[in-house]
Amino acid sequence: MNLRRIGLLMWKEVLQLSRDKMMLPLIFLMPVMQLIMFGYVVGADVTNIRTVIVDQDHTVMSRDITEAFSASGYFKIVDRLDSEDDVQPAIDEGTAMVAVLLPPGMERDIASGEQVPLEVIVDGSDSKTASVASGYAAQVVASYERERLTALGAVPDGPGIDARVRVLFNPSLRSVNAMIPGLVAMILMLSVSAIMSQAVVRERERGTLEQLFVTPIGRAEYVIGKVVPYVGIAIIQTLSVMVVGVLWFQVPFYGTAWIMALGLLLFLFTGIGQGLIISMISNTRHQAQQTTMFILIPTMVLSGFIFPIESMPAAIQPLTYFIPMRYILVIARSNAMKGAGMSALWPQFVAMAVFAIVVFGFGISRFRKQLAD
Amino acid sequence: MMSLLRRIAAVTRKEFIHIRRDPRMLASILVLPVIQLLLFSYAISFDVTDVPTVILDQDRSAESRDYLASFEHSEFFRVVDHIESDVEADRAFDTGSAKVAVIIRPGFADAIARGDKADVAVLIDGSEPNSAQLGRAYASALSSTQDRQILVGWAESRGMDVTSMGSLSPQIRTWYNPDRRSADFLIPGLMVVIIMIVTIQQTAVSLVKERDQGTFEQLTVSPIRRGELMVGKVLPWLILAFVETAVIVAVGVLLFGVPLRGSVLALALGSVLFVFSSLAIGLLISARASSVEFANMAGLLVSFLPGFMLSGFAFSLESIPPALQFISYLFPGRYMVVIARSVFLKGADVATVLPQLGALLVYALVSLTLASFAYSRRL
Amino acid sequence: MTSVLTRQGLRSECVAGDGSLAIETRSLVRSFGDLNAVDGASLSIPRGSLFGLLGPDGAGKSTFIRMLATVLAPSEGDAFVFGHSISHEQNAIKPRIGYMSQAFSLYPDLTVRENLDFFAELRGVPRKEMDSRAKRFLEFSGLTEFAGRQAQHLSGGMKQKLALAVTLMHDPDLLLLDEPTTGVDPVARREFWRIIAGLHCEGITVLVATPYMDEAERCTEVAFMDNGRILLHETPGALKKRVCAQTGEERVCMEEAFAHVIAEARSGEANA
Repeated sequence: MNLRRIGLLMWKEVLQLSRDKMMLPLIFLMPVMQLIMFGYVVGADVTNIRTVIVDQDHTVMSRDITEAFSASGYFKIVDRLDSEDDVQPAIDEGTAMVAVLLPPGMERDIASGEQVPLEVIVDGSDSKTASVASGYAAQVVASYERERLTALGAVPDGPGIDARVRVLFNPSLRSVNAMIPGLVAMILMLSVSAIMSQAVVRERERGTLEQLFVTPIGRAEYVIGKVVPYVGIAIIQTLSVMVVGVLWFQVPFYGTAWIMALGLLLFLFTGIGQGLIISMISNTRHQAQQTTMFILIPTMVLSGFIFPIESMPAAIQPLTYFIPMRYILVIARSNAMKGAGMSALWPQFVAMAVFAIVVFGFGISRFRKQLAD
Repeated sequence: MMSLLRRIAAVTRKEFIHIRRDPRMLASILVLPVIQLLLFSYAISFDVTDVPTVILDQDRSAESRDYLASFEHSEFFRVVDHIESDVEADRAFDTGSAKVAVIIRPGFADAIARGDKADVAVLIDGSEPNSAQLGRAYASALSSTQDRQILVGWAESRGMDVTSMGSLSPQIRTWYNPDRRSADFLIPGLMVVIIMIVTIQQTAVSLVKERDQGTFEQLTVSPIRRGELMVGKVLPWLILAFVETAVIVAVGVLLFGVPLRGSVLALALGSVLFVFSSLAIGLLISARASSVEFANMAGLLVSFLPGFMLSGFAFSLESIPPALQFISYLFPGRYMVVIARSVFLKGADVATVLPQLGALLVYALVSLTLASFAYSRRL
Repeated sequence: MTSVLTRQGLRSECVAGDGSLAIETRSLVRSFGDLNAVDGASLSIPRGSLFGLLGPDGAGKSTFIRMLATVLAPSEGDAFVFGHSISHEQNAIKPRIGYMSQAFSLYPDLTVRENLDFFAELRGVPRKEMDSRAKRFLEFSGLTEFAGRQAQHLSGGMKQKLALAVTLMHDPDLLLLDEPTTGVDPVARREFWRIIAGLHCEGITVLVATPYMDEAERCTEVAFMDNGRILLHETPGALKKRVCAQTGEERVCMEEAFAHVIAEARSGEANA
């Protein structure tokens, strides 16, 4: 082990990176772009759902209900239609996703004690918005009913339930707050596995790897010299994401720095191992890239990064335990948002440590072996 | 003319040999889309269900059990544990074993008997805002319904006829995709994402790779023109992208039962224009990229960020900021997702999606022109 | 053909030029930023010659050849290949030249035969002749038995021979070879040169850039290039004679002659 040689290798790596006039800006632009996309697109809350009202009743009640929908903040009334027949074209063209039908004679029928259906049509072709819209519509109608009955005075002080629904840890329900801790992990992984594997495979493609090994450089020195610059990049990226998250997106941090750092460190080792494995099984940079995609897509889908794990079918859920990102996500989110400590997170830490040891250990040992051949 | 076709054919044949010789390239063309289809169709559901819930019932009365039963019967909540203390609730949140806690304090039944409001606390873990938001809506709706039942019961026990006050009950009807199946929602859009990933990532390296390999100079001294080189290189991916589109449509319809209600012509037209547009983006990257690594990363980034995030394939673009809205219109995915989804689920024909088809046509023409300019610049 | 190839130590015995010029460059300049890689090079190369372009690394040889191959556009000046300007008439030049760049790589995942066929197709080699030509060039480059092997599994020498075969498939009149034997073992190098000599005897004009002096001795004419300029242009014999006269030595090898010329030129520059 010779520190000077390692330093030299690292310097070479940094030089090569800085010579590629487009690559370096991309490396630092990438996290920012991801941050913006994830923060604003995936993190966008479903509000202002485009809604049309078909009011065939034209009464105080029908106007009150319209107002209740509009005031909820979830629905944005884009048009008032006269006939039910106009709903179809509005939804087909995409001008509306929800239609609320207030039938003629609604107020009169209710007054005469009938049970009147209030039809809400949602466009199921966007199943996510449809789910959200149904939930909100039910809530709007239920609370309108309650108010109506109370207002009628028929039941002045009857018993009932006062449910106080409180959202903990993220009371304003901002998605960005949950997105950023996950994004930190995601970017860390991309840097050390995607970018690093490109650099390692390039060296093999060009044959400079052989050149290096006729010098006194040892294999361990080579690995360290190769890995450390990318770890450095990953750390800079991670920090910049955190800073932008806290300053621009105003994401609060309730966690403990060392717990967060320890979790990310274990994950970093897993990522390095993964990068080494990718570079080992790839002959060209293009292959390395494609292998990265094979890992990246299941990771994004199955880790719970975007889509909650508990809503996945029972048959799929066991698969998620094999995705290292799953554990760091729990650690990062729980720590940053809930301030959860070791006593709650130790199972994730154990899993993370196992992944780090197995993936990193495998990567490093096979990589060294391959270099020796 | 003949020699032109011959040169193009030579390049195309060579590209096919590259594809055939590289098992991983084949896999990423053939296997990766299947994995994506399976993952997105089976693993993802936007219908949030089975949110793990713990219940703390300190009243242990018939009334409290009635109330809690409504949670147990709901599809949204899944009661995982009956706990004994607040500390356990904290712990369940910390470890993530529960996302919702419903807490009933002693005196719940007494309050109702007295004619008072009985307190219930529903705590929701906001660290996953999407399901938390829905959880809040469902918990409120459940409580309102219970609230009304208790009120009606109470009024009736006093001889009042509450039913005479009438009632308004929401009836939710879901059009086009009544079961709100995610597969129906995702597969038409997924087609767009897969095509974008395959075409952009593969063509992004097409020219840089020749430069990097040193074969580019040899091409330069041959009589082949840049335009011919571009066509020859793009042709295999054009063919593969069409085959892939057809396969995804077939798999979606036959295996996943996604309805194809609209005009196949509209879908085909859209696909052709879309494939050309995405190929042009790949070519542009390739012509401008400084290195193979850059082309790879840029391809990854473009197919992932605008393709995945800004196409509207999974994430609603309704409420994103105007600047991002603008950017999303700069990439072809957004138009194609609308076309695919309208044709599949809404039975759209060419006339319905004419604006999107028009946009894609313009896009394809402009991007291909830019790409061929970028391709034909001298060293 | 084969009889030519079996002859050893070929040199200038079979020159068959008609006196017209294959290449003529006039004050050719190519700059990269502030650096003039080629700085006013003027050179005339008669048809039928086996021309060696010598010079230290960084002299501008590659840039010079790349301009002649129409890969790079000149910054100033012009050059004519068979009377066609490299600035305006690239398409008239391209079919008549074969160019082997220093880093000429083949498609590593294509077989020997596929590489040959691909470039021949691009060059518009008549279909009828494709097979016979491919066989012929495989034969004389000794690659016949490796026709089905992927280029990435060839040895360095074989790769170079394949690269040469590829540049020959369309029957060029002029070969531009940029350090074709760099990194090739001595045996393979000698064989490579035997092939070049054979081609030369068939009447093909060859311009070869090389840093090896022993290779220069096989050429009919040589030019020295340094700092982007052509320092001298004569036959190897004349050059050695001149250097002998100047240094008073009885015999000099090319290496010494070369060192002498460079030193002379540089001191001349320093004085000026």
